[in-house]
Amino acid sequence: MPVLRSREIPPVPPNPRKARYNVDPPSTPTQGREQPATRLSSPPSLTPSPKTDGSVYGSAPFSLRRSLRLYSKGSSNADDQFGLPAVEKSIGSRNGDVSKKRKLSGDVDDGDVNGGGGGNEVVESYMKGKSIAESEYIEKSERKDEIENVNRKRRFSREEKGKGKLVVETDLESEDESLVDVSFSDVELPAEEVKSPDEKLSKRSNRRTSGGRMERFRDAARRNASRFAYFNTREEEEENNNNLSVEAEREIPSVEEHIEEKVVEDWPGPFSTAMKIIRDRTANLNVRQGSSSSDQVPSVQIKWVPQKGKGKDGSKRLPPSLLDLSLRVLVDNADAIASLDHVPDAMRHKLCQMLCDSRQMNSNLLDLLLSGSPTEIRLRECSWLTEDQFSECFVKCDTSNLTVLQLDYCGQCLADYNIPSTLARSLNSLPALTTLSLTGAYRLSDAGLSVLVSSAPALRSVNLSQCSFLTHGAIEILASSLASVLLELFINDCQSIDAMLMLPSLKKLERLKVLSVAGLESVTDKFIKEIITARGDGMKELILSGCGKLTDSSLKIIAETCSSLRSLDIGNVPKLTDNSLGYLASGCRSLELLKLCRNTFSDDAIGAFLEISGEVLKELALNNVGKVGHNTALSLARRSRNLVSLDLSWCRNLTDEAMGLIVDSCLSLRVLKLFGCTQITDVFLYGHSNAKVEIIGLKLSPLLEHI
Amino acid sequence: MKKEETVKLISAEGMEFVIDKEAAMLSQTIRNMLTSPGGFAETEHGEVTFPEISALILEKICQYFYWNLQYSRGKETEFHIEPELTLELMMAANYLHT
Repeated sequence: MPVLRSREIPPVPPNPRKARYNVDPPSTPTQGREQPATRLSSPPSLTPSPKTDGSVYGSAPFSLRRSLRLYSKGSSNADDQFGLPAVEKSIGSRNGDVSKKRKLSGDVDDGDVNGGGGGNEVVESYMKGKSIAESEYIEKSERKDEIENVNRKRRFSREEKGKGKLVVETDLESEDESLVDVSFSDVELPAEEVKSPDEKLSKRSNRRTSGGRMERFRDAARRNASRFAYFNTREEEEENNNNLSVEAEREIPSVEEHIEEKVVEDWPGPFSTAMKIIRDRTANLNVRQGSSSSDQVPSVQIKWVPQKGKGKDGSKRLPPSLLDLSLRVLVDNADAIASLDHVPDAMRHKLCQMLCDSRQMNSNLLDLLLSGSPTEIRLRECSWLTEDQFSECFVKCDTSNLTVLQLDYCGQCLADYNIPSTLARSLNSLPALTTLSLTGAYRLSDAGLSVLVSSAPALRSVNLSQCSFLTHGAIEILASSLASVLLELFINDCQSIDAMLMLPSLKKLERLKVLSVAGLESVTDKFIKEIITARGDGMKELILSGCGKLTDSSLKIIAETCSSLRSLDIGNVPKLTDNSLGYLASGCRSLELLKLCRNTFSDDAIGAFLEISGEVLKELALNNVGKVGHNTALSLARRSRNLVSLDLSWCRNLTDEAMGLIVDSCLSLRVLKLFGCTQITDVFLYGHSNAKVEIIGLKLSPLLEHI
Repeated sequence: MKKEETVKLISAEGMEFVIDKEAAMLSQTIRNMLTSPGGFAETEHGEVTFPEISALILEKICQYFYWNLQYSRGKETEFHIEPELTLELMMAANYLHT
């Protein structure tokens, strides 16, 4: 664990912002010990002396504890001499939370914490990491203090009321938030906060009766190790999410949205009902379990028993098919291939794919592919192709029957000047071309594209991802000649294309069904609003991953307008909240593919969404959606009968039981991705009874066998 | 080998290969041909003709069927394919869905 490296690091520099609040605020769950350092604005009454702090902590009321921490945080930021690596910082923030809770025990181990001593340093580094992380966070949001705090607090206290204290995650967040809410913590917060520390106090003191202080630290560290893997970015994202979504809401001049943002749980409709049911279920379970549960117990029980011998025997491998065997031999002997005539397109593509993957593709083979009058050319990877080779090969190619041309990563070979001689030899040189993919053509400019498009009047699908030279002029070119035929447009990562500037041309594409603007930072809510109102009715597939500026309002519009949406990718859009899932559940009823990645949706919301929309769903990706837990698992098991592919990579809260339940209940499931799920053991892997599912990402997976 | 458990695969040149039904059923195409309802000649006589597949390739395919059965029963060996045959073998394998 990287954290343990930090033994030498002295105490944490506190946060400067905290120092503003000189008032002794009322109680909040306590934070850990820190060695308070002197600071200009710190309250003079509290002197920085470890011993004093130690004894004070042992008996002090919560308020004093709190103020000590605050002021000490404020002070040491000034003398920031310690350069912690970023990893430790990020880990430290979580650790800081954790160790804070540890410190709530009534034992007098306080005095030990400050000042030297081996075990303390670990703790202190937690604090340091935490406060640094917080100071970063604070600096970002400094301008909008009051409003944010009020809103966050309000939202937060509702959350606190709703959810049980025993769920670890909320506790950590609550402590996080409560730190900044100092100045506004009025009557509301203290009452609730006092409760939780008491619970924790009794728990902790029960446990810590034996063993030295060092063992305790180590035990706690071991126990909480799984939480160390959380990145601070997630926390920060969430915090920023909370803060900035308020900002964003303000930008859009709509009272309705502003109200909606606050009134999260009051929608009418099936989604809110489902959410309520799930929350009630959780709350009931927590009430019943009471104080007898440990930190890590799932909030919902999942009953699943592994069944031995019924499922796929992982150790037995299926014999490879003759097709695969012969393909492998072909690839090994690729030089000896004399001709590819009469080989059907599907075989050619498979062969090309394997050749490209093993980097054995060369211009001779390309010649073979281009001989005759080829109908489809699919090269996933053309980085080996030089300009001269490209010109040579394509000059003599008869392109009159070509329907599909895919030259991915062709940046090295494709430029404006060699298009007229090779691909666009005449105005009608590509008459049958319907699908064109030239990703990574970084030397292709608008002019070059114009020449190409004028030779291919029948284009239906155009993929120009990562063509960084193209501007909105390219979209104008497409719109002028292909307005009535173009169905699919992919412009992922084309950084020179400004979304708002290309909007008028984009609206002209009458039959647009698939739009991918992944990675374009200029995509904003306004853009989505405009394009969806214009073309949303016919939209079947939307890929918006990485468009960091989007908020719930975009999803609202999408849900309301795109009733025939089949596929949606909203991965890496951190500002989306549970509201988005609510909109999707009520709006897009035919959604078959949903891709989430690193989103901050809660377990309850995903569970509720699946309850409603799970039946139709065929592919679902919850990659790195960390909060996924048992509610999601239960909903998946109950509703997702048609689910074929499921990605639960990095969902560390899912246990063997949950996984087993999902796999045994989703009978159509064929592919399950579990990268990063090291918590899954053989109990699930050999105990599940679904013989047809292929599990990728754990030790049994044959992922890159063909290379 | 009893007659009921075997099928006859006939190559383009007319050469006939008699193999176990279980082995032949590894090919999805052959399985469909032999089990489809409708009174086809194949189902009745247990014979399937492949006018596009040469004898050499068909022989190799039969060898593959038996190798496959052996593999699933635990004996995992290597199936060697002569490079000269590979292209045609690949196309035949694709057609036979095996």
